Amino acid sequence: MSDNKQVVADIDRSLYDFKDVESEKDFYRMAEGLTEETVLKVSEEKNDPEWMRDFRLKCLKLYEEIKMPNWGPSIEGLDMDRISSYVRHKSDMKGKWEDVPEDIKNTFEKLGIPQAERESLAGVGAQYDSELVYHNVKDEVAAQGVIYTDLESALHGEYADMIKEHFMKLVPPTDHKFAALHGAVWSGGSFVYVPKGVKVEIPLQSYFRLNAAGAGQFEHTLIIVDEGADLHFIEGCSAPKYNVANLHAGCVELFVGKNAHLRYSTIENWSKNMYNLNTKRAVVEENGVMEWVSGSFGSHTSYLYPMTILKGEGSKMEFTGITFAGKGQNLDTGAKVVHVGERTSSHISTKSISKDGGIGTYRSSVTIQKTAKKAKASVSCDSLMLDSISRADTVPAMDIRTSDADVGHEAKIGRISDEAVFYLMSRGISEEDAKAMIVSGFANPVSKELPLEYAVEMNNLIKLEMGGH
Amino acid sequence: MNTDLNMKVNVLPVYTYNFLKVNDSNIELSDISIDTVESPAAAELPQGVSVKRGISFDEAGEVFRANKDRILVTTGVPGDPNGDTSARDSEQAVRTGMGIDADKLFISAGAKSEVYTVEENAKVEKPVVIRFDMKDGKGVLASQVIHAKKNSEVTIIMDYDSGADKEAAGFLGVSTRILAEEGAKVTVVKTQLLGSRYLHFDDLGGACFEKGAIRLVSLELGAQKVWNGSYINLAEKEADFTSDTGYLCRGEDKLDINFVTDHRGKKTNALMQFKGVLMDKAQKTLRFTIDFKNGSSGSAGDEQEDALLLSEDVINRSMPIILCQEEDVDGRHGATIGQLGEDLLFYMQSRGIDEEEAKRIMIKARLDSVARIIPDPELMQRVQYYIQNII
Repeated sequence: MSDNKQVVADIDRSLYDFKDVESEKDFYRMAEGLTEETVLKVSEEKNDPEWMRDFRLKCLKLYEEIKMPNWGPSIEGLDMDRISSYVRHKSDMKGKWEDVPEDIKNTFEKLGIPQAERESLAGVGAQYDSELVYHNVKDEVAAQGVIYTDLESALHGEYADMIKEHFMKLVPPTDHKFAALHGAVWSGGSFVYVPKGVKVEIPLQSYFRLNAAGAGQFEHTLIIVDEGADLHFIEGCSAPKYNVANLHAGCVELFVGKNAHLRYSTIENWSKNMYNLNTKRAVVEENGVMEWVSGSFGSHTSYLYPMTILKGEGSKMEFTGITFAGKGQNLDTGAKVVHVGERTSSHISTKSISKDGGIGTYRSSVTIQKTAKKAKASVSCDSLMLDSISRADTVPAMDIRTSDADVGHEAKIGRISDEAVFYLMSRGISEEDAKAMIVSGFANPVSKELPLEYAVEMNNLIKLEMGGH
Repeated sequence: MNTDLNMKVNVLPVYTYNFLKVNDSNIELSDISIDTVESPAAAELPQGVSVKRGISFDEAGEVFRANKDRILVTTGVPGDPNGDTSARDSEQAVRTGMGIDADKLFISAGAKSEVYTVEENAKVEKPVVIRFDMKDGKGVLASQVIHAKKNSEVTIIMDYDSGADKEAAGFLGVSTRILAEEGAKVTVVKTQLLGSRYLHFDDLGGACFEKGAIRLVSLELGAQKVWNGSYINLAEKEADFTSDTGYLCRGEDKLDINFVTDHRGKKTNALMQFKGVLMDKAQKTLRFTIDFKNGSSGSAGDEQEDALLLSEDVINRSMPIILCQEEDVDGRHGATIGQLGEDLLFYMQSRGIDEEEAKRIMIKARLDSVARIIPDPELMQRVQYYIQNII
């Protein structure tokens, strides 16, 4: 490449990096470190039923036993002795926006959450540090029988048995070290139940904000979309940047019923001091459809591979993801799928951009079990390197245990193509504009899958300031 | 001597999910009889090629150690890939696909290497043929170093064959290390027609200087358990590695492969192609990696897999990895894995070819496409005859 290099700017984070000081008067903060005492304290704070308290203690034991992963980014900078597992505002969760404490309300106002609720959402949950501070669902959606509430309320109400039946069954605490940690100290998150045949026309959204420094957020999202139902759920995450490590070890469990459809969209923009060790998993019944749309922009370190188990005959999964790894970031992202049922199909399509020394790793696994006759799986992953001090790695795996399957895989790594730039320039477009168009086009397959408002937010996130000199 | 083997080999350049059980492979074999630790001699030594026999495995690696800084050239830009395993094999004279444990076996067994040297500018037309006559009950450890000096050209054929005894049992472990100096071209052909109860490993490590090239053609058609590794370091500008690997796994065969191309020089080029067929209860694990190191600008790497699965009970694992720390490169991977397409079957049947015959044609087509590249007519015919017979 010539010296006249493109400059692709880092993501503009000023929108997310504002901080609100949390005073002792208004906030309760548990001491740093993870011990049996801490876990029991969280359990007491949450007024857990006995089975949940015992479950937390079992998870703590597992956390202590399970080794750190040997394959992903380093998490040496994460010291659990310096992480507070539980921080909450001293007020209770509110159902009306005007009742939310002023300081928290300001935060979410700046992030545009209430505006989004008014304009384009069927319901909103807003979590601030360890607890939900606001939860609301539109009357007409509630009238359809849709349940959208915080998980703690559900744990004590009429859905208690349903929670007990599903909680951490899809992601067992034995899965990995941070699943066990999640099980021990989880707090907050949402429970959604969409009854049989109900189609929720506009999306529900949960927004997670980790404002406290040196804290962990461990929300649990449990969604059950019953037979023939349809839901689009959006998850947003952000945090201001601190000089100490923060930890996000959330867990998402999705149950997609027969002929049901669930789209789960995430725009993750944690700050660059965040260790994002999140686990997401879905199981899909006969002819059900699971769609993931995932944008990973923030975090210092990410381990994120939403997994789908295509259990029912004819079930389908689509994963569309983009990862932007900039300076100081090590984002290890991808997807996992297990084909169990006959005629199941999956398509994974990812885009990754690396710049300024950022490390972007696409990691995936496609497993086709012996029972998955006539399964089809395709994977396509493209990486774009914007300089030579960054990394873009692709580490896919395929495990196929039946001949009656059709599996295809494509991967490409490269830079902005000189030929494409030349072609556009031959059509009268300047070099700068041509390169800007190519980079925008690279991200387009993901943004086009998002509702308009979120596509705009994503474009803000990838504020690609192109310029030559 | 009889020995127990307990080796961790074919370690991925970067670890991935442990639940997949693909990060490495263990060779755990007890009471293996090894009666020869020397490679058979070449049938004939063409002009321009000389050989030193009986060199210790360690000493034979000296040519690589003397050039280590040149082979492992680095720009110093930090940033290892996640789960990097390179430290494990750093003590090898030259890194190989199977890794340090294979070297340790040769050293501990007191194996002797043959060091073939190809004179500068020598264009050796006649191949160097090393035949491994692997009758029932044999146990052999064999290692060679091929040192092709500047602008030389040579073809080495390694022919592992159990002859008419299709059910022969035994053990054959081979290590081949290659240095292709500036402009040198080394073609290595390895054909494996061992008996169905043979245990076999074949380890390759190599380095190419400026415009040096290594061409590998290998066919894994016999044996019960096979481990095959290759690690080629394209150290300098315009170095090249091309490989064509064909395999057929039947019965309860297990084939475990780890191929890595390490791009360090500018405008280096690699193409790795794998074509194979799995039948019955066979299992195959294929790890193949293109690693673009910082400084390898203008390089291209392509890895392609075409696996035909012909039984409900086969297990096929593939890990096509691309590592990249360089902006100006072109890295590609493509894989097609599955059974015969319905369209193809329909087409064949419409021409009076039944399903079984269609399968035979497609197996033969895949393996023949690699066999045809063998530069020795006699061996090519023998391999084609072997393929014809087994299908």
